[in-house]
Amino acid sequence: MDILYITKQDWDNFIQGKAESVDIFAPFEQDGRLLYGKVSPENKQEIVYNRVRTVEPLKMFFVPLKERVVPDAQEIPERVIMGVTNCDMSGLKILDKVFRDGEYKAPNYAERRAKTLIISADCLSPYPSCFCEIVGTHPYSEEGFDLNISLLGDGVLVDVGSEKGRSFIGGDQKFFQASKEQIDQRENNRQKTSEKIREANREFDLTDIRKRMRGAYHTEIWRMPKDIENCVQCGSCTNTCPTCVCFLLEDTGEQGQTTKGKVWDSCLFPGYARMAAGASPRPTLYDRYANRLLCKYWYMVEHFGLFGCTGCGRCIAGCAGKIDKRKVLTEVLRERQQI
Amino acid sequence: MDKNIYKPIRCEVKEVITESPTIKTVVLKPEEEFSFLAGQFALLTVHGVGEAPFTPSSSPYDKEKLEFTVMKTGRVTDAIHNLKPGDIVGVRGPYGKPYPLDLYKGKEVLLVGGGVGLAPIRALFLALMETADKYKRVVFCCGAKTPQDYIYKDQIFDKWQNLCEQNPLCFRITVDKKDEQWRYDEGVVTKALDGLDVDISNSVAVVCGPPIMMKFTTLKLLELGYKDHQIYLSMERKMYCAVGQCRHCLIGDLYVCKDGPVFTYDVIKGKPNIWV
Repeated sequence: MDILYITKQDWDNFIQGKAESVDIFAPFEQDGRLLYGKVSPENKQEIVYNRVRTVEPLKMFFVPLKERVVPDAQEIPERVIMGVTNCDMSGLKILDKVFRDGEYKAPNYAERRAKTLIISADCLSPYPSCFCEIVGTHPYSEEGFDLNISLLGDGVLVDVGSEKGRSFIGGDQKFFQASKEQIDQRENNRQKTSEKIREANREFDLTDIRKRMRGAYHTEIWRMPKDIENCVQCGSCTNTCPTCVCFLLEDTGEQGQTTKGKVWDSCLFPGYARMAAGASPRPTLYDRYANRLLCKYWYMVEHFGLFGCTGCGRCIAGCAGKIDKRKVLTEVLRERQQI
Repeated sequence: MDKNIYKPIRCEVKEVITESPTIKTVVLKPEEEFSFLAGQFALLTVHGVGEAPFTPSSSPYDKEKLEFTVMKTGRVTDAIHNLKPGDIVGVRGPYGKPYPLDLYKGKEVLLVGGGVGLAPIRALFLALMETADKYKRVVFCCGAKTPQDYIYKDQIFDKWQNLCEQNPLCFRITVDKKDEQWRYDEGVVTKALDGLDVDISNSVAVVCGPPIMMKFTTLKLLELGYKDHQIYLSMERKMYCAVGQCRHCLIGDLYVCKDGPVFTYDVIKGKPNIWV
């Protein structure tokens, strides 16, 4: 893979130039948090590089909160999304498997993916809620991106991950081959961040979670962690999760006309699994809470060969009940030690 | 561009048959070809109201029409009950795995259906009858709460019984509570399994009905000597996409839409809250 170097100032100019012909979305700070915004000549200096994940998950660009799926969609535009951290890049693998790579292709998804150029970015200032390192992923991307950027002093290292990324750079003369020293220095930064995340998560034990979550259905296990009681079933965790894909379909058409909308749903909502006559296979909060975590650490592993959790920690940071999922998991897994 | 997977085909309502006070059968004429195998299901859209999964109750061999037998239980099914001939609805599918009829060859096939659970059993029964000589015998146990709750009355009490003379068929018909005119047995459908003269080692049992009926029927079948893998159960869950994306229908790690909707008991037992 090509690794290039460009000065920060030249990169800023490069992006500004690009933003004249294509919509570029990048992280901007708002009230101390990062949110995606559209890059414009006015705000280009305020783009936040290489800090930490955004508030919104990347999925909102590919699976909107609400979209019309029947009749077929309007035109899907080309765009660039910049500053995507690896927790979201890892989540994208699950979205691809669900909506693009299976037997049934979801409307709009593959086209949105194909028309979007992704520039991922190393995470250098993780939140206390970040835990990617203890679910087997890292705060930097090694695959899946078109370009990846790592801030390095007053310059930027740019990994070229795809042909699309290569043609985005084109013949721009401001990019040079990165030196070994620069690459080593970047590696050093990456390892420091990884270590910081591991250190912050030392009290949580998710060892062998794949194996120990298997068969952990029984409500009694999930009644033990006291914190689950604080769940108010708001759906914040599922909405901000980069791999939560659940949705519902709604019909709004007139007689004889099909109009279907697709809207995010949450397995924490009491009505999620409730059937027509009123019976629910997950009647209690504990069943629903358990289902979400079993889905992340077991079912998705079974279905896609991947964890449904990338350690982004949004479900912890955004929890209205202040539940730390890592603590809940540690307690549940302790009970399953003998497995 | 790929075909839109959520877009149903248009079907005209030809007839709406009242089966019981709470159950109707809608007879549809699809505007495009629609074929399915017994056990597979489809999603039926009432435009502007919603979509819900049902297993067709008509014969998979009948290419002219498609029937769904639907109990009135909620918003979408209320709208289905209000359909009139000439209305247009949407159907997409078929989804899920069919009954593995190849595995049933040479065997005694025990069908156990209760209430509206007779609907998918009817499609299976009619499919079995097309090639009845392949199966050693079909034993059909039917149950309903009361005589008036029976669906397919003209077929179960008359038409299908006459099939008995040419085919190795056996009917066992019961109601939970009989009335004065009732000439068959009284008791829950598991009672119809008492004294069954079936070579169980060379048999499969196919069960469909309300969860409580499926639970007790399964227990009864196990007591009679059926093994877990010989018992085929129809599972129902809330469902939107039917293609393994929306994740509403998961029973543990199993998708009802893709892995089911019919599961053998060995596969489904031990999963959370299966009898709901």
